[in-house]
Amino acid sequence: MLELLTSLLSSVLDAAPPLVFAAVGATLSERAGVVNVGVEGMMRAGAFTAAVAALVMPTPAGVLAGMAAGAAVGLVHAWLCVRWRSDQVVSGMALNLVMLALGTFLLEAVFDSPNSTPPITQLPKWLGHSPLTWLACMLPVVVHLAVMRTAWGLRLRAVGEKPQAVAVMGVRVSRLRLGAVVLSGALAGLGGAALSTATLDRFEHHMPSGLGFMAVAAMVFGRWTPLGAAGAATFFAFGNALRIGLASSAPELLTVVPQGVLLALPYALTLVVLAVSGKKSAAPAALGTPYDPELR
Amino acid sequence: MREGLKRLLPSALAVATSLVACFVAVSLTRGFGTALDAFAGMVWGAFGDWPRYLETGNVGAVLRPLGEAGTKAALLTFTGLSVAVAFRVGLFNIGAQGQMMVGAIVAAVAGAQVELPAALHVALCLLLAAAGGALYALGPALLKLHRGVHEVISTIMLNWVAVSLVENWLVVGPLRASASGDNSISGTDQVLPSAELPRLLGETSRLNAGFLFALLAAVGTWLFLSRFRRGYEWRAIGLNPEAARAGGIDVGRCLVQAMLTAGAFAGLAGAVLVLGTELKYPATLGAPYGFDGIAMALIGGGHPLGVLASALFFGGLRAGGTRMQLFGVHKSFPELIQGLALLLVAARLVWDRLLARLFKRKSGEEAARA
Amino acid sequence: MIALEHISKRFGAVTALDDVSLTIAPGERLALVGENGAGKSSLMNVLYGLYQPDAGAVRFDGAAVKVKTPAEALARGVGMVHQHFTLVPTLSVAENVVLGAEPTKGGLLDLERAVAQVQASCQRFGFAVDPRARVDTLTVGSQQKVEIVKALHRGVTTLILDEPTAVLTPQEADELFAVTRALSEQGLAVVLISHKLKEVLAFATRIAVMRRGKLVAEVAPGATSPEALAELMVGDAARQDSLSPIGGQGRGEAQAAVLKVEHLRADKVHDVSFSLHAGEILGIAGVDGNGQRELAEVLTGLRDYTGGLSLFGRTYTTLTPGEARALGIAHIPEDRLRRAVVADMTVEENVALGRHGAPPFARGPLIDFEGRRQRTDALLEANDVRPRDGTLRVGALSGGNQQKLVVGRELDGQPKVLVVVQPTRGLDIAAVAAVRRRLDEERRRGCAVLLVSLDLDEVLALADRVLVFFEGRVTAELPRADFDERLIGRRMLGVKDA
Repeated sequence: MLELLTSLLSSVLDAAPPLVFAAVGATLSERAGVVNVGVEGMMRAGAFTAAVAALVMPTPAGVLAGMAAGAAVGLVHAWLCVRWRSDQVVSGMALNLVMLALGTFLLEAVFDSPNSTPPITQLPKWLGHSPLTWLACMLPVVVHLAVMRTAWGLRLRAVGEKPQAVAVMGVRVSRLRLGAVVLSGALAGLGGAALSTATLDRFEHHMPSGLGFMAVAAMVFGRWTPLGAAGAATFFAFGNALRIGLASSAPELLTVVPQGVLLALPYALTLVVLAVSGKKSAAPAALGTPYDPELR
Repeated sequence: MREGLKRLLPSALAVATSLVACFVAVSLTRGFGTALDAFAGMVWGAFGDWPRYLETGNVGAVLRPLGEAGTKAALLTFTGLSVAVAFRVGLFNIGAQGQMMVGAIVAAVAGAQVELPAALHVALCLLLAAAGGALYALGPALLKLHRGVHEVISTIMLNWVAVSLVENWLVVGPLRASASGDNSISGTDQVLPSAELPRLLGETSRLNAGFLFALLAAVGTWLFLSRFRRGYEWRAIGLNPEAARAGGIDVGRCLVQAMLTAGAFAGLAGAVLVLGTELKYPATLGAPYGFDGIAMALIGGGHPLGVLASALFFGGLRAGGTRMQLFGVHKSFPELIQGLALLLVAARLVWDRLLARLFKRKSGEEAARA
Repeated sequence: MIALEHISKRFGAVTALDDVSLTIAPGERLALVGENGAGKSSLMNVLYGLYQPDAGAVRFDGAAVKVKTPAEALARGVGMVHQHFTLVPTLSVAENVVLGAEPTKGGLLDLERAVAQVQASCQRFGFAVDPRARVDTLTVGSQQKVEIVKALHRGVTTLILDEPTAVLTPQEADELFAVTRALSEQGLAVVLISHKLKEVLAFATRIAVMRRGKLVAEVAPGATSPEALAELMVGDAARQDSLSPIGGQGRGEAQAAVLKVEHLRADKVHDVSFSLHAGEILGIAGVDGNGQRELAEVLTGLRDYTGGLSLFGRTYTTLTPGEARALGIAHIPEDRLRRAVVADMTVEENVALGRHGAPPFARGPLIDFEGRRQRTDALLEANDVRPRDGTLRVGALSGGNQQKLVVGRELDGQPKVLVVVQPTRGLDIAAVAAVRRRLDEERRRGCAVLLVSLDLDEVLALADRVLVFFEGRVTAELPRADFDERLIGRRMLGVKDA
């Protein structure tokens, strides 16, 4: 039993970081009032760029490149949503589709392979796990502190609730939101990079295979707070590890509860939580509404 | 009418810009000649190889690509309509993918397990698939109405619930095809011949009656929205739900109806895929048709005929994409063009600003001349 | 000394400001008056950096400055309290006040110091507000105070108040003016934007009058009268027509009660009972947010309720907007772009809204395009909606014409009950007069009219009977003969007679 638990814990520590980074990133964008359903695309950009960059430079530098790629996609999203007041859901979904196609296309065009990039040197292990695992343990706390306890965080929370309040006090709404969305992209990119440099040692064509959407689910589940999102992400990763663990150690259990049903569980749970919390949901009041300073 | 054309302009420009951008990208990476060949290949593969037809008189050179394009366009039309119809009442149906999966698995089971005369069997399968998709879309509508849950979040969740339950459980588990001889079969049992959608061009092409259904659905939706009282109510809700409610329109009922319709269209997309092309539920659906539907709806300006037009165009490019492979360009290239076009449509206000500036300058010049 | 010189600002085709010049001196109390849309708020938004002028300059002590953001305005000592509150409801008073200039300690927000600072500011300027309270737990009057503290806390030397009394009771307004007067005597320049002439004359040391984007006069309060100011604001004598009482000739309760509510409860409505009779205008007076709006929503089927509601002798336990319409209850809502019209639909489609299921607008399940067009053309003609083009988007019409369209549509079906909320908000004088005339005509026809307005003058001018609302309860019911503005003001505050 203890053995099973430690192996479970170990696989959670390996599987959770991508989801944790992306979910924490998503809260930043949404707390600032910008819907981010483009996490999937940002993660994909991060995963691909990190794996490609790591072919020609040290892997840690590749991870940074992946973050930058995610941030770049975030910048496009921010530019469309903040500068041009585009529909935030449309922009996010469009970016997902572009990144999906671009990833496949570049994989084919650059590496002549429909499946994956050549292998790279994986990130080294510290205490048995990738450094990103330990980063994923600390980052949510840091981001939570930043959002809940700093002046910047106060402004961020205010701009998501009522942008006019921030504007009349002399703080630029557009700059604040732009920054939050770019940061959100960088964290999603980091999550993607974790997939291709720590979880695996290459970019695979299906990455991140829905983890971006699961990150959004975790953010909602965690009631739009960084710690809550990270907790929900870890919980989802735990569920996943449990499923995989059961498949190898107790396959007879899976004839009772099929794998597919377990796979559906995190999403179904999020739906249940939403249905129960209903209108009291913690979503920021101005979420999804572009700010127009000359419109009142 | 002129207003309508003006609204189409940004979409057309977005598509054109994206085509040019992608052409430049291929030219830069593979050379101008290859780009030219690849694009020509894509066009012939999409809308018929007319030069070869004129040269050899082989009708198949034209019909085969057109048939392939029509087959793909039918699916895109259905999922596009699914998203567009929901849009009309102001809902963002990201769940077309999941609804399509439900429709597809229902059609696959009904097609394989029920025995009926041909016409009846097809009708039953389509009906059940539409009902399955509709029911799957009912949840988000009710959650939105009674619990205030945003439909974007709930439909995203339901997409993944559908993938997990259908493709990771049913198709590999209880509904897996009974192995006959070799064990390499994936997906569900084959549908019976009586459930197959009739082919329109005989053996030349896979084009099937699903294409006609898609045309009918698009035209029907257009007539419904523009000519019927209920269509008027839907549009009013989409443009201003509060005013619609104050005007005595039962907003809740309309939202549910629209979402059911959206789900039914997505379900039909699944049925057409299964009964027309795959003849079973394959291991995976193969493409994110539901997400493509978002692109179709937005590029088509939310108008049913606009959806049809963009589905025909991108269905064509998809079909032509296979030909691009001959020139070393990946067949997913059309999807890149589509994604870029969608992104440019998302940047709608940028276009509006550019066009306004352009028109202003023009009218200014005219005024100066007069 | 602040000088605005030759400021012009356009929004699309609309000229909001046309070559306006104005100075603001330290310690003065300048009132900026004018009709709605005259450009008062736009001018101050330019000074506050929210709008960028198309032409003209802003000078601080002689030096021309481009005020590009509110941050720059604040840095130069200009603060503004907007008509619509700009508070974050989920944050505390202290967090709202320090937003943009937060005290920090070791990189973190120092909430204790913020609370202490805000406490000090409140005391210094004479406001009693708890810095730790969440804003959404405060009354409207207290929120207004927080708005002012927000500006003063940043050390402004010029304070712009945009229609500060719109949501206050007369007593709260008096208190506000007493505090600001004291501050101005210590050197603060105050700019008061208002169209309430009485408070302007009592408060200001100088009055600037704006009309249609232009500054038309500057007068001293001692050298003018409400009538003279009104004339300057309007430019002709049309004011006279709209201010004169036109109610009072009704036959009141002699006619049958068509609507009766007993112990009605809904959100913000607590135990209200009254009846409404054919051929009368019943005015509902009250400070914003005391349940009047919710009452109107209940009566038009837009809001759930409990308690007795009977219409034409029948009791209803639920009422949908569709049922209300079918019963002959018409509704002219407060915010027409939100509730009354679909801006992106055509005039014809909007004329059909609410009756779109019946002839001449529909034939079976289909839309009757021809019938709809004919009815629309007749309605545009009868109500003088311009331009007379049913195929235009409603959003392309001016606000006055939109309102004429709404009023025309709602009265087109000869309603038995008419529920009207703030029917003249944002309209010019001529349109105000036209709308008020139509209401009076309906009353004479025998329609029962319920008029909710935040403008007490409007209620007093039109109503045969007034109900005063305070915190969702009726605190006074007065027939026309007993109208007394001070008494109504006290009842609006829930104050009992001593």
